[in-house]
Amino acid sequence: MNDAPYSLYRLKRTPFHERVAPLCLPQNWRRWAGCITVGSYDLGIDREYWAIRDAAALIDVSPLMKYLVEGPDAARLLDRITPRNIHKMAIGQVFYTGWCDDDGKLLDDGTVTRLGERSFRLTSAEPSLRWLAMNAVGMDVTITEATDRMAALSLQGPKSRAVLNRCCEDGLDTLRFFRMAPNRLGGRSVTISRTGYTGDLGYEIWMDAADALPVWDAIMAAGADHGIVPCGILAMDMARVEAGLFMIDVDYTAANHAWIAGQKSSPYEMGLGWTVNLDKPGYFVGRRALEREHREGSAWRLVGLEVDWEGLERVYAEVGLPPQIPGTAVRGSLPVMRDRQQVGYASTSTWSPILKKYIALVHLERPHFEPGTRVEIEITVEHHRRYAPGTVVALPFYEPEWKKK
Amino acid sequence: MANPDIIVIGAGHNGLVAATYLARAGRKVLVLERREVPGGQLAGDARIGAFATRPIHAGGQLRADIVRDLGLANHGLASEASADAGAYLAPLPDGRMLRLAASTDAATLDSIRALSPRDAERWPEFVRFMNSAAAYLEAGQATPMPRLANADLLEQGRPLAALAWKLRRLGRTDMFRFMRVLTMSAVEFAEEWFESEPLRAAIGAVAIHGVSIGSMSAGGGYVLIHNWLNRGGLAHRGTRGGAQDMVNALVAALRARGGELRTSAPVAQVLVERQVVRGVRLESGEEILAGTVLSDADPRRTLLGLVGAPELPPEFVWQAQSIKMRGSVAKVHVLTDGQHGIPGGTVVIAPTTKYLERAYDAAKYGQVSEHPYLELTHSGDVVSIHYQFAPYSLRGGDWQAMRATLERRAIATVSERFAGFRDSIREVRSITPFDLEQTWALTEGDLNHGQLILDQLLFMRPIPGWSDHRTPVDGLYLCGSGVHGGGGVSGVSGRNAARRVLRVSARG
Amino acid sequence: MSAQQYDAIVIGAGHNGLIAAAYLARAGKKVIVLERNPYIGGATSTREIFPGYRFTEFSYVVSLLRPEIIRDLELPRHGLKILPLPSTVTPMDNGDYLAAWEDHDLTRREIYRHSPRDAEATDEYSRVMARAAKAIKPILGVVPPDPSSLSWRDLARLLQLGRFGASLSEQERYRIAKLMMQSAGDLLDEWFEFDPLKGTKSASGIIGTFLGPRSPGTAYVLLHHYMGEIDGAFRAWGFAKGGTGGIAQAIANSAKALGVELRLSAPVEKVIVTGGRATGVALANGDELKAKVVMSAADPKRSFLQFLDPQHLPDDFLAAIRNFRVRGSSGKVNLALSELPQFTCLPGEGPLHRGAISFSPSIDYIERAYDDAKYGRFSERPYIDAIIPSMIDRDMAPPGHHVMSCFVQYAPYDIEGGWDDARREAFGEAVISTIERHAPNIRRAIVGKQVITPKDIEQMAGITGGNIFHGELLLHQLFFLRPAPQWADFRTPVPGYYYGASGAHPGGGIMGANGRLAALEVLKDWR
Repeated sequence: MNDAPYSLYRLKRTPFHERVAPLCLPQNWRRWAGCITVGSYDLGIDREYWAIRDAAALIDVSPLMKYLVEGPDAARLLDRITPRNIHKMAIGQVFYTGWCDDDGKLLDDGTVTRLGERSFRLTSAEPSLRWLAMNAVGMDVTITEATDRMAALSLQGPKSRAVLNRCCEDGLDTLRFFRMAPNRLGGRSVTISRTGYTGDLGYEIWMDAADALPVWDAIMAAGADHGIVPCGILAMDMARVEAGLFMIDVDYTAANHAWIAGQKSSPYEMGLGWTVNLDKPGYFVGRRALEREHREGSAWRLVGLEVDWEGLERVYAEVGLPPQIPGTAVRGSLPVMRDRQQVGYASTSTWSPILKKYIALVHLERPHFEPGTRVEIEITVEHHRRYAPGTVVALPFYEPEWKKK
Repeated sequence: MANPDIIVIGAGHNGLVAATYLARAGRKVLVLERREVPGGQLAGDARIGAFATRPIHAGGQLRADIVRDLGLANHGLASEASADAGAYLAPLPDGRMLRLAASTDAATLDSIRALSPRDAERWPEFVRFMNSAAAYLEAGQATPMPRLANADLLEQGRPLAALAWKLRRLGRTDMFRFMRVLTMSAVEFAEEWFESEPLRAAIGAVAIHGVSIGSMSAGGGYVLIHNWLNRGGLAHRGTRGGAQDMVNALVAALRARGGELRTSAPVAQVLVERQVVRGVRLESGEEILAGTVLSDADPRRTLLGLVGAPELPPEFVWQAQSIKMRGSVAKVHVLTDGQHGIPGGTVVIAPTTKYLERAYDAAKYGQVSEHPYLELTHSGDVVSIHYQFAPYSLRGGDWQAMRATLERRAIATVSERFAGFRDSIREVRSITPFDLEQTWALTEGDLNHGQLILDQLLFMRPIPGWSDHRTPVDGLYLCGSGVHGGGGVSGVSGRNAARRVLRVSARG
Repeated sequence: MSAQQYDAIVIGAGHNGLIAAAYLARAGKKVIVLERNPYIGGATSTREIFPGYRFTEFSYVVSLLRPEIIRDLELPRHGLKILPLPSTVTPMDNGDYLAAWEDHDLTRREIYRHSPRDAEATDEYSRVMARAAKAIKPILGVVPPDPSSLSWRDLARLLQLGRFGASLSEQERYRIAKLMMQSAGDLLDEWFEFDPLKGTKSASGIIGTFLGPRSPGTAYVLLHHYMGEIDGAFRAWGFAKGGTGGIAQAIANSAKALGVELRLSAPVEKVIVTGGRATGVALANGDELKAKVVMSAADPKRSFLQFLDPQHLPDDFLAAIRNFRVRGSSGKVNLALSELPQFTCLPGEGPLHRGAISFSPSIDYIERAYDDAKYGRFSERPYIDAIIPSMIDRDMAPPGHHVMSCFVQYAPYDIEGGWDDARREAFGEAVISTIERHAPNIRRAIVGKQVITPKDIEQMAGITGGNIFHGELLLHQLFFLRPAPQWADFRTPVPGYYYGASGAHPGGGIMGANGRLAALEVLKDWR
């Protein structure tokens, strides 16, 4: 690794770099977990967004942190770390989950995949090796980081199954939502999970880093007739808001990153109450705090906000402007008001091209998070603060019927 | 005993003290001891042959209030500490002896005056200050340490405030002296008081005794006061009748109150369900259930061994792993023909403070001191040598291989000062830190269940925020030396733990 | 010559003296600063020892300088620029290196290749330390209370401290308490496994102390160095344009603009005490200057044992000052170079040369260096923190040439046999041969060399014992015990005489808080 001086004095490249770099015509690069990744392959992101919603979008998600947890206590370790009941997972099943510190505050979120009786794959947004090791004390388990030696692609969109059926050895018709199965693709061994970060039909393909390019080529070739489009992370960011999926350190602050207690979030607050299994036996990290919160109720909750289009138009019309819509998801915090009192804030907001609505992930204090509650969101119109009316809705904003079918 | 209210793991003196206090309060108490004999470090072991009855400690006595509360005098314990502690003696290079007592007796003053008239002049003030500091530390050890959360401080902070007020009442000079001395090194402290190097070193030795620090390490001042308090001065002072009397009295007192002691009953596991204690499982497989369990084992062993990391929060596990154990004391027992030539009392081999520091340097790098700091005590034919530093973790070697070296160096170092010693030797048996771990179940051979270093004291002992004997497992308490008040033989942490348990149950 | 009358006399034109003078002048006082050297700066001086090569003789980097001082004294207007010093590279014995670059992702990648576990631990550790530094930082701006006093003033200070304490979370309290008492080595062993990483981090815990990384109390010193901030970023280090002398110059310019009179080559002999009150000073040349207030920015020993007759001081105080530990432990080797040192671990010119180069391959390495010093020898293989100022500020050396500043530990003030030219030379050689193992061209490149021992620091900068912090940062020499119990509020037992330098709270480094707080206390007492 240390062959030429300063050869490490640059960001990491993903195993697909050789393919995606020539396609990234506008040089719109973003940093993701220490890697350079494509923000968008065009200067606008509309084509990539609509590929997610209408065709098939191929996204390089290799920077995700990946860990293999293996051994007699593998299930025990993950059951200790996450609030879900890992012992009940079937082989080939995937769980989405957040995980907490012992105060019941979210540290990270990701997926757990049961690869075998004693072997799991964990994905996370932040490095998790240390947390895994700290929790594995006294257990018979090995933890291996696979972030760099594993490449990952996300193929999302209504045509994604058709594309994979064309290039995979085994068909994907029987692979259920949040299940995983080994397969061969472009002559290489891969595992494919029916998961994603867009809320559409979609798959994630996991492979050895050395197999990255042939797999990419095979999928692109198979997708040509289905309108496959290489897609950057900006379009995915829009789609994930529509799907009601949040992002670490954007929509919540990891408990270990927070400067003050008020910045931390619990799974209940983030709408992940369904992942917290208080009935499972034994200790898990954060159990006591989560039991307490379950008993006493949460102070606030993450919900959706749909801005009234007519109201938005009116606010702009007052100064003689048509509504101004940002081209990408906005990661700025915006106050949310009710009766002129601030009752929460939006952490990500975006125009939804498919819903034709302006939507936002909002954090609202009790009792204002009930669906149907009328609130106002602050927007800046011609350098002045204005308030656009909207309605609290349950997440997700958009869920096509074919997502889980 | 069927269905005890409380199980105490370990019949060391703290375990027995805690159990007896609880039995006295009407609880059904069962003490489980893994060895065949009670007493922990106060009891010897058959594997050291002729020295089987020798305890690990040269002296030690329970605090007076414990003796009184538990009526130990009625069970054969001399009601007072043995009157004569003997002297604290340091051989000088010219063959003379520096003879110190923690008083202003003429012999001590004469002995110091021979080295430095100025030091002799300062001695009475030194003894006065040390006694006052030790008394204050005793009050500190008796004061429960609350958590440092605002709510806990408001609710339970009154004793702390009283302690702070008591500090002011020491008077300005002593108050500042006390605050400064805690964090000073042995050298810094000794240099401020005395100019004679042998005197500085003799005092400095007590300031590192039993702890893996050097004479130049901060925190020696605390250790000095701690040891001064436990010893009642400089020389070791035992209970009349010895350590075994103490153990016997405690066991008798426990039984008289209806408590039960089971020996040869090693606990394999503390049973826990969702952070609540349910009882214990013995190595035999037998399960005994109880809603309250006290452990006299060291915190590392209790938490990571008997409870197990998987039942505990990860940050807490990390802190438990981070407790500095680092035993570096070995004991060499020597049976002689009686002609060893070593005077009675406590003899210290520590010619200079740099000598002490050099002895410690070895420990830093995982080596046994070539020129160790020794403390010798004898009862007739048997000479017991406290050897420092003999680190538990040896770099490039193990204790099986090092035992002979340890014994050779101990004998050589003693023989240099006492010419007749070598020829008087009949039999040598040593106890290494590894033996202490194997036989006495002391993690890393640490006699104090955790180093008496600044970041492991008061509300940080054994783990910051957990010095009130509680653990993250409801109903499980620590009552050994590893908790606030502990370190050495005093019974303080056992007493404090019992009080804590009774306070909790009084609250319902 | 008749005595001249001032409102305030400040002894010493180091950064604290100049800052105190400037603050007093800013409040409308007539102030003179007396400096024994023919130049200003004290231990914050930059001088052209060889023509064209400017050496930051003693202190060489800055991060602790309080931002409020920069603002209050308008230092940028007077020439202060603090340039970034973004990285630290530790050459390793196996030819590899460990780097902490400016960019978080690059640093993470770099540590990861040595130890994945440590890469993650580093992130977590940095956050924990930053939170602890943020929590404890307000202490820097607080006048320590006298815990033995029941005066309203001290009770108010105690209350202020209590409020500060109440604002901390439970976890922060434990963290800080543990940091205060721990050794840097123990702290780092809890977090990390990779020796060069631990060694390099532990170095912040021993700078300026006569302690090794395994000595309790060094974790606090580490935290002390974490409290620096530049542009609001914790733990950022910088290099002042023109060397640290540039800081002294900017402060002096500001002070002069505020009307401060500055007299060089004016060593003070005595502080004059009349009727139990300080009323002026007598210079070595016989001149006497009168003032309502005298403030010393020299070290505590000089300020109290030399400038004053013992009769003016109570016994407790005298004993405390005599017992105040000031053992110097660091030296400097400043080099004028004809070419850049070429490091075998990272050949060629590159980012390495723009940051610090730390010779700290392990905690044991530094601990052994300390072992040498505690028995009265300089370290055979010392810890060295080197920077190349000419790579940050091109004006520091002639074109194509460079200067290199090497901070070295340990060099004990009380070296066995005493410091002389031969030992100084041998000490310099130990440093150069240590560097040479990693940068073989260093010897060839040297065109000028200045070796500074603690004895030299004492003679040149006038600091007793040559301790760069005017007194070791020992636990029993901090806060309300610094420099002496009951006298940590910048006042002294002699009314009208104040003390405001590194030997006072909050300790050493180019921080300036000492001088500022002292000046503010003087103004509080003004009638």
